[in-house]
Amino acid sequence: MSALRLSRAALRARTAAALKPIQRRGYAEAVSDKIKLSLALPHQAIYHSQDVVQVNLPAESGEMGILAQHVPSIEQLKPGLVEIIEESGGNKQFFLSGGFAVVQPNSVLSINAVEGFPLEEFSEEAVKSQISEAQKIASGSGSEQDIAEAKIELEVIKPPLRGGVG
Amino acid sequence: MAFAWKAAGLTYNRYLAIAARVVRRSLKEGPRLQAERRGEMDLRFAKWQNGKQGENKSLGAANADAMAELATQEAK
Repeated sequence: MSALRLSRAALRARTAAALKPIQRRGYAEAVSDKIKLSLALPHQAIYHSQDVVQVNLPAESGEMGILAQHVPSIEQLKPGLVEIIEESGGNKQFFLSGGFAVVQPNSVLSINAVEGFPLEEFSEEAVKSQISEAQKIASGSGSEQDIAEAKIELEVIKPPLRGGVG
Repeated sequence: MAFAWKAAGLTYNRYLAIAARVVRRSLKEGPRLQAERRGEMDLRFAKWQNGKQGENKSLGAANADAMAELATQEAK
């Protein structure tokens, strides 16, 4: 008699379990589709291990988008635009003067650069005058080093900033 | 990978400094004045020889000269 009661209890338990949907989605899993981004300059930390959805980088090996669970890697950055898609869905753009991005395991991304500013802070006139000045030096008869530096300046400022600002 | 700055005899450090300088100069008036102060370096050094202090030189200028010399040496 007692054995019968036991099996009935077991049956009841099983049906209750079958009725309830199995809830697999835990807190840890819901969080893991974000990247912890740190964007640091020598004088300022723009992002301090903040959760973001995606980061697009101008790597020396090509443009790349970093999502959560990216393969760990180290990328040298070209001077250019870094696009950050935040949790709220908005995206922010920063122009970095070149540096390194380190993708660490467990969706941690650190970006280091010398200078980085939001696009709004660039002035169209200043960019134009920089371009014309650098062009003058690059095609002039200065020292080899001056010409090389002017060419670097042009390379830095020309394609990304002209596209972004003016 | 062959980089243009490397071919010109510049160091990566110098390349970054140039890139940062041009970025700072392209900013709007307000942030630019603040940022440009960061780019300044006024470090001087002198070489001591036989108990006497040599010429006082700017480190930045001496660095640039050394890099230019290196570039011409490598071009030969």
